[in-house]
Amino acid sequence: MGNRILLIITLLGLFTAVSVTGQETLQKNGNTEKIKGTRFIPYPGYSGSPYMTDKFVNGEIEFLDGTKIGNLGLRYSTYQDAIIYYNSVISAQIIIDKISLNGFSFTDEKGEKRIFRRQYYNGLMHEERFFEVLSDGKVSLLVYRKVDLETCDTSYNKFGLAFQPSFYYYIYSAEKGYSPIKMNRSSLLSKFNKPNQKLVRKILRKNKVLIEDEHSFISAWDLIKDKELEIIF
Amino acid sequence: MKRQLIIWLLLFVAVTGKSQERKFFSLFTDRDQYSSGETLLLKLFAPADEPSGIVHVSLSNTNRKKITEINLKTTDNQADGFIYLPDSLSTGCYLLCTSTRNNPTLTFNEIFICNRFTGIPESGTVLHATKTRATMEKRIDDLQIEGINKPRPTRSNTPITIHLPDSLRSRIKGNLAISIAETTSGYNPGSFLINMKPMENQMVEKDGVILEGFIQDLKTGEPFKNGIVLLSIPDSIPRFNFYRTGADGHFSFQFDQYYGKIPVVIQGLDPERKRLLKIVLNHPDSIPGGVSSFEYWTIPPEIRKIAGTNTDAVTFRKIFSQQEITIQPGSRPKADRYPFYGVPSAVVDPHPFIDLPDFTEISRELLPGIKFRAYNRIPSLQVFNTALHTYFEDPPLLLLDGIPVHDLGIIKNLGSKDIDRVEICLNERFYGDLAFPGVVAIFTSKSNFSRIAESEDLIKFNLDVIQPDAQLNIPSEKQQSEPDLRKILLWKPTLKPEETLRLDFITSDIRGSFKLIVRGTNNDGSVFYKEQIFEVN
Repeated sequence: MGNRILLIITLLGLFTAVSVTGQETLQKNGNTEKIKGTRFIPYPGYSGSPYMTDKFVNGEIEFLDGTKIGNLGLRYSTYQDAIIYYNSVISAQIIIDKISLNGFSFTDEKGEKRIFRRQYYNGLMHEERFFEVLSDGKVSLLVYRKVDLETCDTSYNKFGLAFQPSFYYYIYSAEKGYSPIKMNRSSLLSKFNKPNQKLVRKILRKNKVLIEDEHSFISAWDLIKDKELEIIF
Repeated sequence: MKRQLIIWLLLFVAVTGKSQERKFFSLFTDRDQYSSGETLLLKLFAPADEPSGIVHVSLSNTNRKKITEINLKTTDNQADGFIYLPDSLSTGCYLLCTSTRNNPTLTFNEIFICNRFTGIPESGTVLHATKTRATMEKRIDDLQIEGINKPRPTRSNTPITIHLPDSLRSRIKGNLAISIAETTSGYNPGSFLINMKPMENQMVEKDGVILEGFIQDLKTGEPFKNGIVLLSIPDSIPRFNFYRTGADGHFSFQFDQYYGKIPVVIQGLDPERKRLLKIVLNHPDSIPGGVSSFEYWTIPPEIRKIAGTNTDAVTFRKIFSQQEITIQPGSRPKADRYPFYGVPSAVVDPHPFIDLPDFTEISRELLPGIKFRAYNRIPSLQVFNTALHTYFEDPPLLLLDGIPVHDLGIIKNLGSKDIDRVEICLNERFYGDLAFPGVVAIFTSKSNFSRIAESEDLIKFNLDVIQPDAQLNIPSEKQQSEPDLRKILLWKPTLKPEETLRLDFITSDIRGSFKLIVRGTNNDGSVFYKEQIFEVN
């Protein structure tokens, strides 16, 4: 038995020596795409949170050419619709140029992976926006997690200003564009024709899905999207 | 025991079988004998396990001095290219050296070049390499060539058919190379191999040419740690990269996506601006010493005769401006959507305004948020930080035609006529780990970055990156009244191995022996060939 083990070890050693003919030592320093951006100036202490996460969380960004950089400290500013990263080498918070990215993703404090995609929004306030992808597919379920700065009672905040969430949900397809949707059952049903509405109701009932919030809406959407029912935009 | 023996035997076969694979490059030229001013066409087959995607082929003389070097990108372990043979080359034997950064085996091919102005030297002898390890290629017989069995008249269209039996096609790896060129007897240089000591920690040129070097303290000559090496590639949207050096002062940049020749500026910087630096590029201008010994060789009469007609043919072709090849435009890298310093806050074109004599006036009158002053002949430049509503204390990133400039004296005399446009960023910009307190990018009317002088810490040059593809020119109908003095009649370096290959070529006005050669590689990496000589009269 001992001989056999020795033989296997020798064989493994020999094979390793033969196959590892030259390991690459690609230095990434001067050859990788660099992150471009501007310095982030912290917001004044208004009430509410202008960020999606309380602190910087581990995430990944994707450049226009598809290359990705992972292991970055990221924080999404819902107020500015900007992704901020912390550069530990120069101890700076940097807003990454939106037009240099395809998107980004990070794992939030609850351990949930959040995926954001940069898309052109052709609605009233047409601009490039980061949409969070709640459900991807031919027709995607997106949310624009906007936070507005609104006036409030000075007893609530000494400046009289507070960050208030004002999220916009959309269903989106590359051909048909955006269609707004609300996180409730009637809004979901309105995206289907009458015969399909019955089918949707049946699916929801069968799966015991009660649409109460964003989370349950996503569950409902995921159940329905597999059925490939026609969606009214 | 029996089982152990079988395992050992299998292992031995596996190891020895692998070591028999070709580890060297096989390089073939269209001919062996050239005149100065001609273009040499070449095809190479790389070893199957070659990690590098870029192969370097250099032409050097018998003093081992590199005359020119090309970089070829391999596809399926094959590549083809061309080398212009300068008119300044003296008559003699020259070496083509094929190498990569990682392969310790160099392949050498000898060629003979006759200077078309001076001809063969009076002594009738030249130095040529004494070969040590000659490479071998295997001749095959199961490939049939039809159409050139009989002598062909000059200027005749000749169809040829090449039959590849299934047994051959099943063992061919990659494409075939087919050429028809004039052939001469009396000179059969072949190729040989030299093994070098493998270099450690060499980066692999997978997709592009690597430019590397190191920076050192100008005063002490020691490698400079934590220096910043800036790379600028001037363009309408300039490209930029940087490298932070380690203890060895080493830096490297990879140029994938680039083809042909590109202007490059390399600068070395001490982030604390205390030390003066010197940039040293690792680009040897000679092939390694001791690669071969040379001996005197008496040029045989056949070569002398061909050399005479060759030089006349080249001169005629030059007179009639007949180019041997057409270079296919290499794909340019996808233009960036915006410059590396960000979308400018403002772009100012000074031309619609009154002519201003210098940059102080331009900044005062035309550039919002830019403070350029030259009190006591010491210029200073500051940019307004719109985020904090104050001027940055540190000077901004100043670019002249896309190249970072640290001496403000260069721009102080730029007037409206010298400037095409000025792009300004009024915020703190970041590029990787570099921070720029604002950006002022000046694009001059000439846009030739001639105002930037070379120094120990600034090198500007044109870098040969990946060679673009080229195609052999065939005379058009318009050129029928001109003499057709082509020595190479067909050059198809990448033909798919099909059962029947049908090709056409037109013979030129040159009479004599021509050779058709089909080359390819077997699955085991070995190179095979089949040749057939025919006469043109």
